[in-house]
Amino acid sequence: MQFAEALKTIQEYSAADRLPPCQALLVTGFNPLHLQTFFHAHLQRLVPARRVYVSTGAYGDALGTLASLQASSLDMCAVVLEWPDLDTRLGFRQLGGWGPRELADCVAGVQAKFLAIRKSLEAVQDNIPIAVSLPTLALPPVFHTPSWQLSEPEICLRQAADQFALWAADKPNLRVAHVPSLQANVPSAQAFDFKGELLAGLPYTILHAEQVAQSLAQLLVPAAPKKGLITDLDETLWAGIAGEVGPEGVSWDLDSKTQPHGLYQQMLRALADQGVLIGVASKNDPEIVEAVFRRADIILPRDRVFPVEAQWGAKPESVTRILDAWNLHADSVVLVDDSASELAEVKAVHPEMECILFDGRDYAGVHNLLYRLRDLFAKQAITAEDGLRRESLRAGNVFREAAQEPGAAHEGFLRDAHAKITFDFAAPNQRGLELVNKTNQFNLNGIRYTEKEWHGRLAMPNTFAVTASYQDKYGPLGAIAVLVGEARETTFSVNAWVMSCRAFGRRIEYQLLKTLLHRFSAEEAVFEFVPTPRNKYLQEFLELFLSRKPDGRCTISRAVFLDKLPALYHEVEIKEVEIDEVKTHHG
Amino acid sequence: MDDLRQRLAQCFSLVFPGLKVSEVYAASSSSVAAWDSTAAIILANVIEEEFQVKLDYDVLPELVSFDLIVQHLKQEHLKLEQSKSGNGIS
Repeated sequence: MQFAEALKTIQEYSAADRLPPCQALLVTGFNPLHLQTFFHAHLQRLVPARRVYVSTGAYGDALGTLASLQASSLDMCAVVLEWPDLDTRLGFRQLGGWGPRELADCVAGVQAKFLAIRKSLEAVQDNIPIAVSLPTLALPPVFHTPSWQLSEPEICLRQAADQFALWAADKPNLRVAHVPSLQANVPSAQAFDFKGELLAGLPYTILHAEQVAQSLAQLLVPAAPKKGLITDLDETLWAGIAGEVGPEGVSWDLDSKTQPHGLYQQMLRALADQGVLIGVASKNDPEIVEAVFRRADIILPRDRVFPVEAQWGAKPESVTRILDAWNLHADSVVLVDDSASELAEVKAVHPEMECILFDGRDYAGVHNLLYRLRDLFAKQAITAEDGLRRESLRAGNVFREAAQEPGAAHEGFLRDAHAKITFDFAAPNQRGLELVNKTNQFNLNGIRYTEKEWHGRLAMPNTFAVTASYQDKYGPLGAIAVLVGEARETTFSVNAWVMSCRAFGRRIEYQLLKTLLHRFSAEEAVFEFVPTPRNKYLQEFLELFLSRKPDGRCTISRAVFLDKLPALYHEVEIKEVEIDEVKTHHG
Repeated sequence: MDDLRQRLAQCFSLVFPGLKVSEVYAASSSSVAAWDSTAAIILANVIEEEFQVKLDYDVLPELVSFDLIVQHLKQEHLKLEQSKSGNGIS
């Protein structure tokens, strides 16, 4: 982003007073001028539905700003530390001495400062996301060794920064910028503005300020990870055309000079193991394909792939079937294929799908592709639900097929599923917010929450929240639904309600409402419904009880609900808020 | 050089969005309240990007009006032309 472009972006939103605010704090010890402008602009682009405000702390006192952090007034915070913020003698603006004695003192001081920063962040990191950029600029020439040799004090300084990063790594709301990536994009000599630092307290060049700002904004508002990858087979997952050379003739190894395909398989296996759905769309003979997957040296095992669409029809048709099986929208899915024309064909039908060409002979291209895939599917943490996704989709297909059967057979299928739902009325964890912010099809109103708004919503008077987890004889689905509402005398309102598409067809939504009506002895339930382009499943659910299309806030009475309630076969477990009591009943 | 003045005026409008078009061409640090040291650096950065020149911190205190910046850019342009034609001072 150019500097003028950043200013334009900020100005475009300067009159957008109607948008809800997004308050961000940028903590730096130096003059944040360019960094602030770029940070503001990048953040604004990532949260276009809000007007971003960026405040800064006092010059030269990053730690003081951190110590007085008030999470209640902020939506997010970015902390940019450079060595002088940790000890002014590790910069160029103070003349405190660079000798061995001072250096020993610096090391101890830096370690103590990092502990103080940890303490400040510990106090607020539960409530708002915080991005931290650890020192990106070179240390001044304070060491007795030549600049091409690491010295013990420098190692100690870097170790202090690394230990801080390690401490932060497992904190869900703390995200640390990847300094080597920043340094790779802007080499040290082009990152530091010596004159700017001395004359204006601006240590970052424009180029570097832009890179750091972008990184911070991306850390605070991460892109939604893609959920599924559809791959071609011949000349993509493996080298060679299986139908021509036979299952044993295709390769993916160093000896055959086809290692890029092996690495691609290895990447897909890793993605599958972190919960990414991997499907196959290939114009191929299904028996030959299965024979290749049976090879002992396959890197991506067959059980990591679902579904496999190996047939001779048009590629877009296979892709569409896979999307249906996954219950995913095209914008959540990546297609990798060695045929530019087939990629174009699919793109014409699914324009929102990311389509990537695979060329096994282009080594640099494959190298880039591996990193690109890692970034497209990157997530903050791997949850228990990620490990369940593929198997639950297989089970989901069983449910979908059963739903096509005649009534009695379908009821028998549901009854024999031995389903158990656990409703947990304790405050939803991070998974709850994640579900609310990424679910589209069964989503009451499409409202997304920041960390702060979510906590604020849960803290409102009379508010209750329930998280539903599900399992049956086909396996567990994990936590798949969250509902937040307000209970009053004879009614309760539902403000947020989402359910993962993996849980469709199991009547979990019915059981949840039934449980709530009973719990609150409510005569009616009010739904703060807003139609969105994607929440058709929930619309249809409400329509069943309203006998009309819902177009906004709507109410369903207990009598109507019970009248139209289908048979429920779940075992239900209730986990209460405070008392450690667990009640179980059937039906 | 009208093109130069127009492009510079766009830079001014970006940094001082409150200025009317007619005010831009007569703008100076004494007539524009928002023209402080911070704005001067921001303006310099925008001009650097637009004209692909380097405005050193040393010259910023001298560039205190629209006209002075025009003069400076013309001089820079001239230097560039001279160096391209091989007449520049090496």
